Amino acid sequence: MEPELLLGSTLALVLAVVFAPPRAPRANLLTWGLLGLAGMAAIAIAPTLDLIVLILLVLAVLQARLASHRDFATRLRAPVLAVVLLALGLALERMQGPVVLDRFGAVGIVAGLAAAVGLLPYAHEFDPEESLVASPIPWIAFVGPLLAAAVVSRASGVVAADAGDAFGAMLIGLGLLNMLWGAVGSWRTENDAAAWRYSFMSDWGLALCGFGLAIADGRAAALIILFSIVLGRLPLYLWSRQALREKVPTDRPINLVVAAVLAGSAPFAGFPARVLLLRGATQLYWPLALVLAAAMLLWLPGSLRLGRSMGVPRGRQAVGVAIVLALNVLLGVYPQPLLTLAGL
Amino acid sequence: MAGAAFVAWVGAAIVVLADGRRGQALGLALLAMSLAVLAWPAGMAAGSVAIALGGLIAAVQCWRSGPAAWGIMPAGSTPRLILCIASALFVFWLAASVTSGPDASLRFAVIVVSGLMGARVLMSRDTSVVLTGIAALALALGLASGLAAQSPGPVPAIVGGLIAAGVLFVPAAPIPSAIQAASPAPTDSDGA
Repeated sequence: MEPELLLGSTLALVLAVVFAPPRAPRANLLTWGLLGLAGMAAIAIAPTLDLIVLILLVLAVLQARLASHRDFATRLRAPVLAVVLLALGLALERMQGPVVLDRFGAVGIVAGLAAAVGLLPYAHEFDPEESLVASPIPWIAFVGPLLAAAVVSRASGVVAADAGDAFGAMLIGLGLLNMLWGAVGSWRTENDAAAWRYSFMSDWGLALCGFGLAIADGRAAALIILFSIVLGRLPLYLWSRQALREKVPTDRPINLVVAAVLAGSAPFAGFPARVLLLRGATQLYWPLALVLAAAMLLWLPGSLRLGRSMGVPRGRQAVGVAIVLALNVLLGVYPQPLLTLAGL
Repeated sequence: MAGAAFVAWVGAAIVVLADGRRGQALGLALLAMSLAVLAWPAGMAAGSVAIALGGLIAAVQCWRSGPAAWGIMPAGSTPRLILCIASALFVFWLAASVTSGPDASLRFAVIVVSGLMGARVLMSRDTSVVLTGIAALALALGLASGLAAQSPGPVPAIVGGLIAAGVLFVPAAPIPSAIQAASPAPTDSDGA
């Protein structure tokens, strides 16, 4: 799953740089994007979770050194908490002792993953005025998807069989929490930029539930959702930043189409992911599918709001939005090549 | 090995309790040497050398930069002292009594150093203190792979040593003048 996500992130960076708004600092975006890609490549090829944790620490320090409104220590808190939780979880998994230690280890790994990405209950501090590269958005939308795929795949070799259920249950529980909180937050919060951040969280909720199901349908759903974050929500957020500053909501057809992409409606990428997730949840425990289906309805109001906040894309951005829509339609109508590539 | 684990805790405690650069450098040096001693029998001879070198380079850099002060246990550091002692007692119980296996010293050192360094980074706003905590955390993470039943080799320890050696040299980005003008003078709110 990691090579595919690395490819998707590379494509997202190309889109972000080529179709960046006129006043966006392209060189900065490209430099730090390439650095992030190098770190992600290292994560993808790292054979053990220990190395992934060390790479995460390096990326966190480098990002925290960027100029920002927030100070260095504040920006490092969440990633360092993630590193410590992952390290403690790993250590507990490797010790010989009672089963409860293995379960605590699983809790540590899942909590560390949530802290690294910036999900509840460890959401990173967010400043809407901050530059994109120095903000928590790269964690939740650029590095995070590949990191999560790598952590979950390496953790399966470390987490004891007795604690496997606890690991999956923790992922599903955090997934539901992020889905509900993110969907309601993106609908109800006053600030549009914060609403975008909440919408990333709600998508992550679906991905965590997919990973937690631990069956092929769940993993396939998680992969498609992560792809839709990297190649859908992230570039759309980047191109909406100018309109967010101008605070001019628009109600053109393009805004409705963007809202449909963000809501995961057919024929866009979020739709097959949701279908796969519901099918997987039904196989495993049907009341979970019921809860997921109810939660998915909450995407609609927030997505309509985010679609309106995008303004009317013009020039290069219009081309970029068209490419993102085309990619999402392609992934929504025919996701099988991606799933086959990932061995799912 | 038990002595090395104890020295590792002493080093980590000094990093937690010291606000001055010299005190932190001393703690980091003690920590690096003791973790290197613990890494050697864990089948990581090359890793042990990397941890020692990385930690010592970080300690020297820490010693050379900033105001020359020790600042060990300044007024108001009682909560940090309690944290150091309580965490040592808890992890000692965990490593020696709850878990089994031959490498109790390694278990103790990895968990207590990771926990204390995480706490140090989370409770401080001073950049130099945070970087010292990260260097020490990287050393502990490098050693942590020694807990695995099948050792992954010296690579994590070498990477940990490299991070520790390099993290204190990472240049800080200049704070934009508009932000500097708008912000009050920074204060250390680490509970000291």
